[in-house]
Amino acid sequence: MIGRLVVASLTGHRARTLLAVAGVAVSAALLLDMVMLSSGMRESFRSLLTSRGFDLRVAPKGTLPFDTEATIADATAAMAALRESPDIVAVAPVLGGTIHLPRAGGAAVSSVALGVDPRVQGDYVLLGGREPRDDEMVANDALLAAAARQVGDTLTIAGGYDPQLRRFLAPRVVRISGRVRFVYLARDQRAAAMPLAALQALGGPTRRDRVSLMMIRARPGADIEQVRAWIARRLPKVTAISTATAIAQVEERLSYFRQLAFILGSVSLAVGVLLVGTLVTVSVNERIGEFAVLRAIGIARRTITAQIMIEGAALMFAGAFLGLALGLVTARYLNTILASFPGLPQSIDFFLFQPRAAWTALGLLAAAGVAAGAWPAWRGASLPIARVLREEAA
Amino acid sequence: MSEPVLRLDSVERSYHMGSEEVRAVRGVSLEIGAGEYVAIVGPSGCGKSTLLNLLGAIDRPDRGHVYLDGRDVGALGDGEATALRLRRIGFVFQRFHLLAALSARENVELPMSEAGVGRTERAARARELLAYVGLAAREKHRPPQLSGGEQQRVAIARALANRPALVLADEPTGELDARTGSEIAALFRRLNDDGTTLVVVTHDEDLASAAKRTIHMRDGLVVRDELAASVAAAQR
Amino acid sequence: MRLHLDELQSLTSYGDRVHRFAVQTRGGPHLDRAVAAIDAAAFGFVAHRSKDVAVETSATFAVVSRFHRAIGVITVVASAIFLLCILLLKVDERRRDVAALRLSGISRVTIVKSIVIEASVLTVFGTLFGIALGWIATVIVNVHYQGVYRTPLRFALVTPQTIVFALVLSIVLGILAGALAALRLARAHPLALLGRR
Repeated sequence: MIGRLVVASLTGHRARTLLAVAGVAVSAALLLDMVMLSSGMRESFRSLLTSRGFDLRVAPKGTLPFDTEATIADATAAMAALRESPDIVAVAPVLGGTIHLPRAGGAAVSSVALGVDPRVQGDYVLLGGREPRDDEMVANDALLAAAARQVGDTLTIAGGYDPQLRRFLAPRVVRISGRVRFVYLARDQRAAAMPLAALQALGGPTRRDRVSLMMIRARPGADIEQVRAWIARRLPKVTAISTATAIAQVEERLSYFRQLAFILGSVSLAVGVLLVGTLVTVSVNERIGEFAVLRAIGIARRTITAQIMIEGAALMFAGAFLGLALGLVTARYLNTILASFPGLPQSIDFFLFQPRAAWTALGLLAAAGVAAGAWPAWRGASLPIARVLREEAA
Repeated sequence: MSEPVLRLDSVERSYHMGSEEVRAVRGVSLEIGAGEYVAIVGPSGCGKSTLLNLLGAIDRPDRGHVYLDGRDVGALGDGEATALRLRRIGFVFQRFHLLAALSARENVELPMSEAGVGRTERAARARELLAYVGLAAREKHRPPQLSGGEQQRVAIARALANRPALVLADEPTGELDARTGSEIAALFRRLNDDGTTLVVVTHDEDLASAAKRTIHMRDGLVVRDELAASVAAAQR
Repeated sequence: MRLHLDELQSLTSYGDRVHRFAVQTRGGPHLDRAVAAIDAAAFGFVAHRSKDVAVETSATFAVVSRFHRAIGVITVVASAIFLLCILLLKVDERRRDVAALRLSGISRVTIVKSIVIEASVLTVFGTLFGIALGWIATVIVNVHYQGVYRTPLRFALVTPQTIVFALVLSIVLGILAGALAALRLARAHPLALLGRR
């Protein structure tokens, strides 16, 4: 019978019920989005960093990978030193640079270039063709389109450009051996990769035997912190960064979004709870006469309280369920906005759906809303019967 | 006289209306036996409805005692008083107070549902009660679809749902036209003839004259308590 | 750290080189002439207007701005729903009063007008309170993030345009919500409002 009364009460005020559910749904959607935002970047970045199986990054002392133009000198010796550790199974060097593709009329297309060891590289996924050998390179779709080339074609690249003389430095012809997707670069960023020695040669004397970064793959089961500490002792002029540290440092830089997520999430929670609390209070105030009569004919206080709270709960759960669907849609939209950050790796998502966090947040909203209705419900069921009947009759 | 179903012992009750204190019932003592049909009459504000609320354990006296089936109602906790109202007392209100969202049958079933009666049994009893009050064909109608008289009949059926020891009615014909009021009065007579103990607060002469005993109240006191002439004659 | 140009050039063995020149002109047509002259005259030099550089280097802020605007739109939609819901509740509570007024001969139009005026007054006061709250929040945000990022940049700004936008939007939404709620009530028959029909 309680169920029947709840349904009757909610359907008796359809507009009010629908609006309340819509209001809770929007609150729930925003809350869900903020929960997704607060952990999305961290988990997405973690996933990116661990996707290629490298556990540590070694960068010039005091810097993050590719944070500055600094490079590590004596790279060959450094890599040999790293390989001495029985815990290190692979060392992947990376040198970052820029190449220029001269065009007719003096114009040029410039592109990011990575010098790698194709046997152990972790920067790209081969989509077609094969790994580059000497005098070869691989390129992503953005560069292939800009250069109007495809796999198998040759093109001239230069390591530098003198703007005063309008001359390209160290031009050479390379063959495009493969088409790739760069894991850590933005989708529309033009990029190519070639053997490390080739890019070092293009960069001239300042780039001889230098790398920007070395990625380390540890033996399964190795203690990453111990390996990191070993590297710090063995190579004092570099900084070894574990995945956890890298994530923490990126999180600190993007702490704004976490704080925004917390504030907006809290506000959404508060507003959703306030809405249902207000609705229940008004609903109770309208029906105190009815409740007094029910009490007079012997309906227990707890039955009436339960009925009112179930009404509130029904609104909250219906709203939360709708909010889940709405939240996923709005998260996708908001993610496309933030994904357009310049230079952001295309694999990074700001909004990541994690079922446990989502259910916890929505459950909290629902429970808080139900609790908000508890006091007005109890109050409505506990009013002095005789007084209320007298006032209703007046 | 049969064992009293209700006994009041120097009952007093006051309440506040704004800043004014109203002494609604000022020391009333009386007994009502099983099977009686009692009308409580008096001018507006004499304390009739307050007295009815005290009889029905809806309110507690400031002083004195109300005994229902020998139990001091004033000493009961809220839960016990509610259970008492559910199982031992039936209420009929002036404004019917049916739940508009429920059908006639569901309104009658409501107290039985609260009392834990099974679905099949309470549906059957509800139909039986609606047939008793002449509304068998209207069980699926909701209150807004019923006339005033029909709604009051449903309210009476609801009051009888859990086979109460007594039925209390507060101005049951107050919102009805004269003809419908007479029909309700006839129904009350029938209820009493079938053994139901009735206490009715009323201004309606038709209803009051149907009662076998009339208690006159004025200014919170019982000024006259008389048997109907026919009953007095029968007892002589 | 700042050094004299020649000292840094000497320190870094850079020779007589710089990364860029910052040029101040008299503005307006002088700026355009200067840009054209520099582009034409010097080998390999390109002159960029400062505001173009600002736009290009503000790409990150532009993304954040779009994100904030999207959140703002969602919040406005949510607020509109809440407002309508609350006003509906408030107006519904006065069902019997409205019924009594209608039965006394007060017209629907008068009732709708009075409810709309009430909603408008509430909206205006609520908006002013909200603007004050927003301004305080702006101050807190700026103080906090200027400290965190050690920058004089202002992260949040309450401009006359945002105040006007907030006022206009709130009032329009408030009046609309009030009107919808009032019309709903005024349309119902007085006896239905009293539950007698």
